[in-house]
Amino acid sequence: MKVLVAVKRVVDYNVRIRVKSDGSGVDTDNVVMSMNPFDENGLEEALRMKQAGVATEIVAVTVGTEQSQDTLRSALAMGADRAILINAEEAPEPLGIAKLLSKVVEQEQPQVVILGKQAIDDDSNQTGQMLAALLNWPQGTFASKAEFEGDSVNLTRETDAGLETIKINLPAIITTDLRLNEPRLPKLPDIMKAKKKPIDMVEAASFGVDLTPRLEVVSVSAPEARKPGVIVANAAELIDKLKNEAGVL
Amino acid sequence: MNILQQLNDIFTPERVLTDEDSLQNYGKDWTQVYTPDPLAIVFPTSTEEVQALVKMANEEGVALVPSGGRTGLCGGAVAMNKEIVVSFDRMNKILDFNSIDRSVVCQPGVITQQLQNFAEENNLFYPVDFGSSGSSQLGGNISTNAGGIKVVRYGLTRNWVLGLKVVTGAGEVLDLNHGLVKNATGYDFRHLFIGAEGTLGFITEATMRLTNIPKNLTVFVLGVTDIPALMQVFETFQNTIELSAFEFFSEDTLSLMVNDKGYARPFDTEAPYYALIEFEVDHESKEESALQAFEACAEEGWVVDGVMSQSLQQAKDLWRLREDISETISAYTPYKNDLSVNISKVPEYLDKVEQAVNQNYSEFKVLWYGHIGDGNLHLNILKPDSMEVSEFFEQCSKVNPDIFEVTKKMNGSVSAEHGIGIIKKNYLKYSRSKEEVELMASVKKIFDPKGIINPGKIF
Ligand SMILES: Cc1cc2nc3c(=O)[nH]c(=O)nc-3n(C[C@H](O)[C@H](O)[C@H](O)COP(=O)(O)OP(=O)(O)OC[C@H]3O[C@@H](n4cnc5c(N)ncnc54)[C@H](O)[C@@H]3O)c2cc1C
Repeated sequence: MKVLVAVKRVVDYNVRIRVKSDGSGVDTDNVVMSMNPFDENGLEEALRMKQAGVATEIVAVTVGTEQSQDTLRSALAMGADRAILINAEEAPEPLGIAKLLSKVVEQEQPQVVILGKQAIDDDSNQTGQMLAALLNWPQGTFASKAEFEGDSVNLTRETDAGLETIKINLPAIITTDLRLNEPRLPKLPDIMKAKKKPIDMVEAASFGVDLTPRLEVVSVSAPEARKPGVIVANAAELIDKLKNEAGVL
Repeated sequence: MNILQQLNDIFTPERVLTDEDSLQNYGKDWTQVYTPDPLAIVFPTSTEEVQALVKMANEEGVALVPSGGRTGLCGGAVAMNKEIVVSFDRMNKILDFNSIDRSVVCQPGVITQQLQNFAEENNLFYPVDFGSSGSSQLGGNISTNAGGIKVVRYGLTRNWVLGLKVVTGAGEVLDLNHGLVKNATGYDFRHLFIGAEGTLGFITEATMRLTNIPKNLTVFVLGVTDIPALMQVFETFQNTIELSAFEFFSEDTLSLMVNDKGYARPFDTEAPYYALIEFEVDHESKEESALQAFEACAEEGWVVDGVMSQSLQQAKDLWRLREDISETISAYTPYKNDLSVNISKVPEYLDKVEQAVNQNYSEFKVLWYGHIGDGNLHLNILKPDSMEVSEFFEQCSKVNPDIFEVTKKMNGSVSAEHGIGIIKKNYLKYSRSKEEVELMASVKKIFDPKGIINPGKIF
């Protein structure tokens, strides 16, 4: 079975985010970029499927600028067989990305598409669901465990109420939770080999889908800084402050 | 007037502790082998208070022990003889920052990590870093000239001290170097206080220097066949890219981390030693060069396998394999030695030390790790389960002369970065000549004529 894994190049999880002074967005100049952590889980799951003999080919796909090749090289180093870069200068919204991915699915005919449940840059949590709708495929979101059985998969999902196990038929869309697995580090020899693996570059415009943005970003601002705490002398003063200053009592 | 009363007058009673818990807690550092017995613990909030205390101590002939984050590994901050412990926990503020000078004026109780975070918030970097930086204080770092994991590129704490305010044992307040970069006006007393282990006086303010944030720090962990190969790997990488760290640990150390604490192996292939290499990838060509260095080492047969971090998180996770060792092995009551020789002599040295230990104590398990890029090796002897602690330490101290004799012959140091304190006092002579030690005592006499500041430490 062929598995398609969507990966995204995002500002590294450990970078201190800075908002641009004109409020137009987040500063990404000279900032370390890495693979979206949820996508690492997605790729790791596909690699384990291949090790278990469930998957035969793993294709990594990303929508982004040419720099997103870095992320695809990481995916190839971890063990993806080949990669597709859909070149788009202006980052499309989740719907646009889902449309592009649906076209890739038509071409590649995978049995499973794995995506992160969200990307840590915009936290939209939409692309996987939209892709499922566009393809009219079953979807299993927020997966923390996946067991393949013939032409279906048993998925454990993390929900607000606890764990839910569902069985869905293939072909299907899976979105990952961080607890799905522990992603591997690429080995140096594999990083060298990955340089020789193929990356197909396709222009987003060539798919003929409507990528016009439907949202307008009005402004981006940093969360309000936490006010420094104060040390009170005694309980009476604390109660007084809670009543009269904080107004919570 | 009685001493406690005088302390209450100088500090107000809530900043003078005499309860048993506090005496035990503040009377020791990380060594845990000495039984604390201080008279009281005081918490100054200003240079003036420290000065008043020193004057009183001189009059009363009572000893004072400077105390920082108490993560020291040589007993430097231990009080066993009714001393007054002077804790800088309440002097923990960053007082001033100048972005042109890139200098930060800090009180001595500022935690190392607090300065690191402050630097980052201001788009700058404080590069001294090690396993205990979440607890250790600048006053302690300066007094031990702490090193750590980035010495290869950034040097020791000494490199980052632009100025110091100190109260000497005689009670003078000295404002040393005023944060200047250049100042060729005679003896630089600042450097005497750096690494003095609190034996000359108290540091009550420090002006620290910051630098640029390194971009995209990337980590390799490599499996290496033996120590000579490890040194070849070091040379190869050093000649290819600027390194910010070159650390190592042995397979015995790694397997203990994996078995006891469930750390994940970086890769399946086992190797006798592992190198952790860190460098900045601010340009694609850097990564290319590092990969070429790896390839060269693999072709030579020095390296059997390796991984590379793909994100800052992965880099952090790999670092934990090295940084968490000290804490993980503390369950085995290790006998620690912190040794150094010239980098080029490491293979011969390690061999000889191992022989010295194995000859008489083959049942002891020896773990090696450390800052090998600085010629700095941490030798840890683990206590066998069946042996009593006191018996174990006694046995270990019998091995010491053998180890230190080798160290002396090779012009090495019996304490690379942890200090002498109490624990290495008897061994100072293996690294410093009789004349040197006498001169040290004379210097101490000048700054602390009555010998009231941290007596009995170093020599
Ligand atoms: C897990 C772990 C890892 C470590 N790794 C490293 C490492 O990689 N490199 C390294 O160099 N060290 C390392 N250390 C040792 C230790 O953290 C350092 O020596 C550190 O600098 C001590 O700082 P502290 O504030 O805890 O000092 P303390 O232990 O409180 O005191 C150290 C010495 O400084 C004196 N002192 C403290 N404050 C003042 C002051 N204001 N004025 C005058 N004298 C003062 C004390 O009297 C004492 O002699 C490690 C320790 C641990 C526990």
